[in-house]
Amino acid sequence: MSVRFQDVSFRYPGSEAGVLHIDLELGPGELVAVIGASGSGKTTLLNLLAGFLRPDSGRIVINGKDVTDLPPKKRDLGQVFQSYALFQHMSAWRNVAYPLKVRGVPREKRRALAIEALKNVDLEAFEDRLPSTMSGGQQQRVALARALVFKPKALLLDEPLSALDASLRMSMRDEIQRVQQQAGIATLHVTHDQEEALSIAHRVAVMEQGKLAQVATPRELYDSPATTSVARFVGHANLWEGEVAAQGCVRCEVGLLSCRTAGRLIGERVVVLVRPEKILPLGANQGAPNQVRGALVRDRFLGPVRRYDLRVGQEIVQGETDFWGGIESVSIPPEAIRLLST
Amino acid sequence: MRFVVFLYLTYLLLPIGLLCVGSLGESWTNTMLPTGLTGRWYLEVIDDPSFRRAFVTSLQVVGAACITNLILGLPLAYAIYNAAHRGVRMAARVLTLMPIAVPELVLAFGFVLVFSSDALPWLGSIWVLIAAHVVLTLPYLLQTLLADMEHLGLERVEQAAESLGAGFGRRFLDIVMPSLRHSLVSGLIMVAAISIGEFQLSNLVSGFLTRTYPVVLLQAFYGATGFACASTVVLLALAVAAAAAGALTARAASRQGETKT
Repeated sequence: MSVRFQDVSFRYPGSEAGVLHIDLELGPGELVAVIGASGSGKTTLLNLLAGFLRPDSGRIVINGKDVTDLPPKKRDLGQVFQSYALFQHMSAWRNVAYPLKVRGVPREKRRALAIEALKNVDLEAFEDRLPSTMSGGQQQRVALARALVFKPKALLLDEPLSALDASLRMSMRDEIQRVQQQAGIATLHVTHDQEEALSIAHRVAVMEQGKLAQVATPRELYDSPATTSVARFVGHANLWEGEVAAQGCVRCEVGLLSCRTAGRLIGERVVVLVRPEKILPLGANQGAPNQVRGALVRDRFLGPVRRYDLRVGQEIVQGETDFWGGIESVSIPPEAIRLLST
Repeated sequence: MRFVVFLYLTYLLLPIGLLCVGSLGESWTNTMLPTGLTGRWYLEVIDDPSFRRAFVTSLQVVGAACITNLILGLPLAYAIYNAAHRGVRMAARVLTLMPIAVPELVLAFGFVLVFSSDALPWLGSIWVLIAAHVVLTLPYLLQTLLADMEHLGLERVEQAAESLGAGFGRRFLDIVMPSLRHSLVSGLIMVAAISIGEFQLSNLVSGFLTRTYPVVLLQAFYGATGFACASTVVLLALAVAAAAAGALTARAASRQGETKT
C-alpha cells in the first residue's frame, strides 16, 4: 500500500504559509519522517493527507486511488495525534473499538479485536481503564492501537512523542517502529525531533518554508546534506565559508584544507561541512593531515562525550570527542570534509 | 482561614435560619425572636389560591425553560464553537452575553413593547414568560458549554473521530454529547436556579394568572411576618430541591457514562 503526493500545493487563506509543489511517495510498509522548523509546513502536509485540508492544486493518491476530494472519514487512514485525542468518556477497549463500531463490526467481534490490539501494545490489563487514569505513554499506546485496529491504508503520526518526557520517548520510539513494521503499513511521521526521525525512519523528508529541501535515508541526509540549511538542521555541523583554492584544496577561515574537490571549479565559493565527531583532537605535536592550531574557548561535559570549541582565527571549530586530555590543535581528516554550494 | 469561613457561613445561613424560625412563630413584632409555635402560616400559604397557582406556574416555566435551553443550547454552542471565522465566533459570543449585560428592565420593556402590540397581543401568556426566561438563561448554558468545549479540545477529539471514520451524526451522538454531559447538566442546574428566583422580568412580563412564585411572594411582604417567612421558605425549598435534583442527575449521568458508553 502506497501513498503519493503529486505536485501538491496549499496556501492558508490570507497568509503566505502553506506547502508548495510537494512530490513525495511512501512505499508499502515504508516509514517516512517529515522534519522541519515550526511553520515549515510539515503539519500542513499531514493534514492534507488526512483530508482536514484540501490542496489548492495537485493530487493525493493512496493505493493508486485519487483521494484528493474525499473527506477524512472516507480515507481510511489511522492517525495518532500529539495530544492523543482519546475519548475521555470511553474505556481503553471502547476507544480502540470505536473505528470498528463505526464500520458496523458486531459488538463481540470488535471487543475481541480491540483487546487483541491492546495486547499488542502491552496494555491488555488496562482494557477497562478510562484514559484519565492512564499515564501519557499508556494513552499514546491506546491511541496507536486505535489507529491500527481497523487495518487502515496508511498511518499518520502527528508529533506522537512530543508530550512525553525524554526517557519514555526513547522506548515509545522503538514501540512505534515495532508496531509499524509488524503492521507493514506506509507511515507518515511528522516530528520536530530530528533524532527521532533519524532513528526510526526509512527515509526522512526535510521541509523548509513549505518546500521539500531533501528526501533521503537518514544516513545519506546526515553524511551528504543537499544544502547548508539541511546540514544545520540535521545534527550538529561546522559550516565554514570558503573557496576552492586548487584541485584537492579549499581555503577558508580555518586555513588551507585538503579534501576532494571533484566537480568544483577553482575559485568557486563553497561551504565546508565537517561533523564535530569527525574532528580529531590533538596536542601541540605537528604532522597530522589538515592540522590546525587554536585556542580552546569552551569545553562542555555531556556525559559520554565532550563538546569543545576551538577558536581558529575568527572561526570556531566545534568538535566532539571522548578524549579528556588537553587540546591545542585538531586534525580535520580530508575524507570528513563535504563541500556544499553556497 | 476557619474564622473567615465561619463568618461567611453565618452571614449566609443566619437569614435563612431566621426565616425558618419566623415561619413557625406565632407572632413576631419588635422582639429578637418570634413568640409561640405554629404551623398555621404554612397552611395559609398552601390554602392561598394565588400562591398555589404561582407555584405551579413557576414549575411549568422552569421545566419549559430547561427543555427549551436543552434543545437550543447544545446545537447553538456547537455552532458557535465550530464557526470557521474568528470574527463570527467573537460576535456570537458577545451577542449571547447581551441578555446578561443588558439590565433586565430594558429586556422587559422590549417584551412589553413587542407583545402588547396589536400584531402580537400575547403579553401575559405563559409562553411569553417562558420565552423571556429562555432569553435570560440561555447565555449561562452557552457559556458553560463553550468553556467545556474549549477545555476538552473538542475540535481535536472530533477530528480523531472523523479520521476513524465517524460522520457528523455519529460523532455528535457518540462523542460530542457524552463529552459534554457534565457541563450540560450543570448548565441546566444554573438555568433552573436562575429561572426559579427570577423576579424583575417576570414581574413585568407575566399576566395576572401567570405570575411566578417570586412575583406573588412580593405580596406576602405586606401581610403578617409569619406568612411572609413561610412563603419565602417555600421558594427556598423549591430552589434547593431543583439544585439537588440537578446534582443527582449529574452524578447519575456521569456514573452511567463511566460504566456504559
